[in-house]
Amino acid sequence: MDKYCKYLKNMIKVIGISGVFFAGCLIIEEYFNAGTLVPAIMVLAVFLVSRVTDGFVYGIMASMISVLALNFAFAFPYFAFNFSIPENIISAVIMLIITIMTSALTAQLKRQEKVRIESAREKMRGNLLRAVSHDLRTPLTTIYGSSSAIVDNCEKINSEQLLQLATGIRDDAQWLMGMVENILSITRIDNGGVKITKTSTVLEELIDSVLIKFRKRYPNTVVNVSIPDEFISIPMDAVLIEQVLMNILENAVLHAEGMTKADLKVYVENDKAVFEISDDGCGIEKERLHGIFKDYFEVKEKPVDNQKRSMGIGLAVCASIIKAHNGTITAYNMKDGGCCFKFYLDMEVNGSEQL
Amino acid sequence: MNSYKILMIEDETNICNFMKMIFETNGYQILFANNGKDGKTMFFSHCPDLVILDLGLPDIDGLEIIKDIREKSEAPIIVLSARTDEHDKVEALDLGANDYVTKPFGTDELLARVRVTIRNNRFQGIGRSARGEFRLDDMVIEYDARRIIISGKEIKLTQTEYNIVELLSIYAGKVLTYAEIIKKIWGYSDFGSIKKLQVNMANIRKKFGEKPGEYRYIFNELGVGYRMNDNEKW
Repeated sequence: MDKYCKYLKNMIKVIGISGVFFAGCLIIEEYFNAGTLVPAIMVLAVFLVSRVTDGFVYGIMASMISVLALNFAFAFPYFAFNFSIPENIISAVIMLIITIMTSALTAQLKRQEKVRIESAREKMRGNLLRAVSHDLRTPLTTIYGSSSAIVDNCEKINSEQLLQLATGIRDDAQWLMGMVENILSITRIDNGGVKITKTSTVLEELIDSVLIKFRKRYPNTVVNVSIPDEFISIPMDAVLIEQVLMNILENAVLHAEGMTKADLKVYVENDKAVFEISDDGCGIEKERLHGIFKDYFEVKEKPVDNQKRSMGIGLAVCASIIKAHNGTITAYNMKDGGCCFKFYLDMEVNGSEQL
Repeated sequence: MNSYKILMIEDETNICNFMKMIFETNGYQILFANNGKDGKTMFFSHCPDLVILDLGLPDIDGLEIIKDIREKSEAPIIVLSARTDEHDKVEALDLGANDYVTKPFGTDELLARVRVTIRNNRFQGIGRSARGEFRLDDMVIEYDARRIIISGKEIKLTQTEYNIVELLSIYAGKVLTYAEIIKKIWGYSDFGSIKKLQVNMANIRKKFGEKPGEYRYIFNELGVGYRMNDNEKW
């Protein structure tokens, strides 16, 4: 079906462009009596067709049409075909050569573009891998070290020490779990360019689910929620959007110094659902604000160790998830302190519901 | 000895090790099978009270094992699944698994699920309908009168809304998938069924006076279904 559609589209381009230019030629011939312009115009038509269609076939088709049209309408004998005159045959050959060269050039350009995108993606993947492995090392050191300490000294260790070591293991394992969730989300999006599957998700159920998870991990942070009263259902990959909300809230808890509460607000604006998460903490430094969603993917030749676990992978993951949903995400500092993250998702489009 | 017997079908030795410790210190008897084939043989020779099944086994697809067990037995099954496949969860539940726990999980969570599942399976249909009512914190469901009372005040629900709450309360603690609920409430399912169910649920919660993040009676399992609270801490 897709192939057929493409074929049809290309054919329309061929016929459309050739037709328009041919008509142009006829008009010029009629009003200006400038026959010398005609071949140049048809060459332009052929060039255009080869440029905008895929592959050689359509370009050759267009050049055939042009040759026949020129031969028929503008070469002696007028309005009849005649292939015995050498100049007609030469013009046909020239057209053909132009077509083939243009098509080859176009194909090459497209190939190069593909290679460029592929290598950019490869580079991003490499950066991600490097950054992730580096970040994984710290908690792994704790886990490995603490558990070895327990195993090697199991007779000398008292229960208080044991508890301390085990708590360390648990905390770092928990951090690792969050990290793995984030990496999984990225692979889920980057799954060979496969689009995410959106299912209609009830807004209040989503928010409830996020809040319960959040409270379990950070029982002392207050989150004020305000969502519309009416029943709202938004098409999304719920697991991924849950992750976005969790990451942003978690980011606030871990990095917004002096924050006492977070506000989570959702409202509908022009067919879009707007999610706003703000806190009353210290805000984000100007220099960081700029690249806050992609820093993690950028080259960090020397990972900075002292900014403990930095902003991490979380916000970069948010940006990729929202992008995969065709939404937008922004972050800014608010006038009266604290920062605000805001993202938009498309509201229900008819009929795409999944059972 | 009167402890419950649990069969765990799981191929990771390390997971089995800490499971052994947790279950034995909590008064359960636990058996291990480290592949699907052994798991099935052991199930039929030992008749455990509960099966904990990892979906990702090296030899047989976990869903096949659920099917095989369900053909001959009603013993409760709890499925361990990885996060990324909600489809597997729904499929496992629809095939007859009683509950699922997502890896990685906390031990308290797993223990709570095991308790609820065993209790539910033993008393399902007898205990609650004989008592004629269901109690959860300040909520009482009177089955004969088809009434729901919260903090002494009757909540006015429509027929459908009441039916949904009643159904969930009968299986309290167990996740019911959207498909399962729809089948039992409306008898058929069509294009807009899930939405219809979700709208009803939203209305029920409004009438119960609950806000997101504070649902106390009915929990969400996003993309899977709903679960009535069973006074267990998850």
